[in-house]
Amino acid sequence: MIAAAPGLDVALDLRARLVDLYCAYDNALNDGDLERWPELFADPCLYKVMPRENYDQGLPIAVIYCESRDMLVDRVVALRETALYAPRIVRRITSAACLRSIGEDGLRLTANFALFQTTQDRPSEVFLCGRYQDLVVDDGGVLRFAERLCIYDSTIVPTSLVYPV
Amino acid sequence: MDSSTLLATADNAVEPAPRSQTARAWPDDGCSRVPNWVYTDPDIFVREQNRIFGANDWLYVCLEAEIPSQGDFKRSQLGNREVVAVRGGDGAINVLVNRCAHRSMQVCTANRGSTKEFVCPYHQWTYGLAGDLLGLPFRRGYRGQGGMPADFRPEEHGLQRLAVTQRHGVVFASFGAPNEALETYLGDRMLGYFDRVFDGRDLVVLGYMRQRIPSNWKLMFENIKDPYHASLLHVFLVTFGLFRLDQQSAVEMDDTGRHAVLVSRKGVQETNEATAQMRAFKANFSLRDKRLLDPVREFPGDATVVMQTLWPNLIVQQQSNTLAMRQIVPLDAQKFDLAWTFFGYADDSPEMRQRRLRQANLMGPAGLVSLDDSEAMLLSQAGIDGNDEETCLVEMGGRAVTNEPHMVTETAIRGFYQHYRSVMGL
Repeated sequence: MIAAAPGLDVALDLRARLVDLYCAYDNALNDGDLERWPELFADPCLYKVMPRENYDQGLPIAVIYCESRDMLVDRVVALRETALYAPRIVRRITSAACLRSIGEDGLRLTANFALFQTTQDRPSEVFLCGRYQDLVVDDGGVLRFAERLCIYDSTIVPTSLVYPV
Repeated sequence: MDSSTLLATADNAVEPAPRSQTARAWPDDGCSRVPNWVYTDPDIFVREQNRIFGANDWLYVCLEAEIPSQGDFKRSQLGNREVVAVRGGDGAINVLVNRCAHRSMQVCTANRGSTKEFVCPYHQWTYGLAGDLLGLPFRRGYRGQGGMPADFRPEEHGLQRLAVTQRHGVVFASFGAPNEALETYLGDRMLGYFDRVFDGRDLVVLGYMRQRIPSNWKLMFENIKDPYHASLLHVFLVTFGLFRLDQQSAVEMDDTGRHAVLVSRKGVQETNEATAQMRAFKANFSLRDKRLLDPVREFPGDATVVMQTLWPNLIVQQQSNTLAMRQIVPLDAQKFDLAWTFFGYADDSPEMRQRRLRQANLMGPAGLVSLDDSEAMLLSQAGIDGNDEETCLVEMGGRAVTNEPHMVTETAIRGFYQHYRSVMGL
């Protein structure tokens, strides 16, 4: 669902297209279909995952930092081909996105996420929660993320962050 | 054996003393065997807190760049105790235990900030930047009633203050009374590697990462003292030649074995006699965006990676252009936090700054390299738990503690346990 900030007039069909984009993102990662994930970004793009601590203090380090669709693809291939990690399911629940502003550079939206992780022999647990800060653009008739900042509330990541947020 | 036999046996057996109360005997007279109970026993954990983290050693606290101005503070954890590093009125750095002298409440709850004083929220006891007790409400009572005894001396009830030392922007502290200067504590060889990164230039903090790993804290140290695993576990490092045992390398320690460095030089992605033995090596894997691995030489000499482990709580990471302090914070026998502080230099060009941010993709909880390590430590602890009486084998490269000009060795793990045994009386 897409909500609009007060005073912002948003056509229903644009809302519907945004819902499709957010839904496609959640489905790609929730289904473990990582290869579909980079296609949801424009190129170049900015994808960052960082603790709120860094964001609030203006500190630039991110635990994942990608500046192009190729970098997103490289991360997916590295996860598939090179990384060692125990099997897991990470499921995200994303809130309704709020369209904050419409500018020349695109649409600014925010949404909240909660990630739940399930590993073998353990109950499901809350893994990370936080907010997305997004810039969505019309990329040749298709809506894509030009920026997605994933800002998680905790300072601590439990063990490892394997999949993108 | 049916269940009735089992019960009868149990009834007649003398119940053994709890494992942690039995005498712990090291399985050999050296350090090429490590007993699993050092990773699980809560009594051992307590002894470590007293003898390693709470004694006379220099513990890493923070970078000076995190608290540049008077009143700036940063919380830090030394072993399982929390301290606050704060820049005092005289410009000196004080390291104070985060515990009110009255009822032991934490007086500082922000991770980082700036203040004029620390006020305990419970009864508003107020402390200055050097930890001195400035005042407390109703010390003289109210209308002649109550109040502190006449012989109460505020100067005896400040925040506990640690011994502090600094070198080139890095702050260390000790709960005890260190009998050596930091430079002697590190030793000449380790000091040389330390000064290679901390050469006196001003540092800039780029940000934090932190992960909670369900394993004993010593496994983290062992991981960075073990170059043997890096060529096998880390496909990413191996494939791109960032750290691989066919490259010119060294493992060196100080005279006690407690500190160490792994040093190596970047190689190329090629199939050779060594990489043929590494299942991890992928000759055909290439990056689409080469900017992720675009290292630029910035230190004297030809080493491209120096990982330094400083007893008892610090790893200084220089892998290509990513620089970080990795602080080890033990939480209990089977759990620790790894707190990363990434930094650069004040005189970095914008390109170098950007390179550091990109290369950080290899490090931290989502690092394309270090992800393997946090997962490996989880699996190590899972294998250790319940197998207390078994031992780990540390014999690669022999049984001695010697500096080696290659990577096919676990010598630095042996050095660590040589020192550990003497400190712990094991």
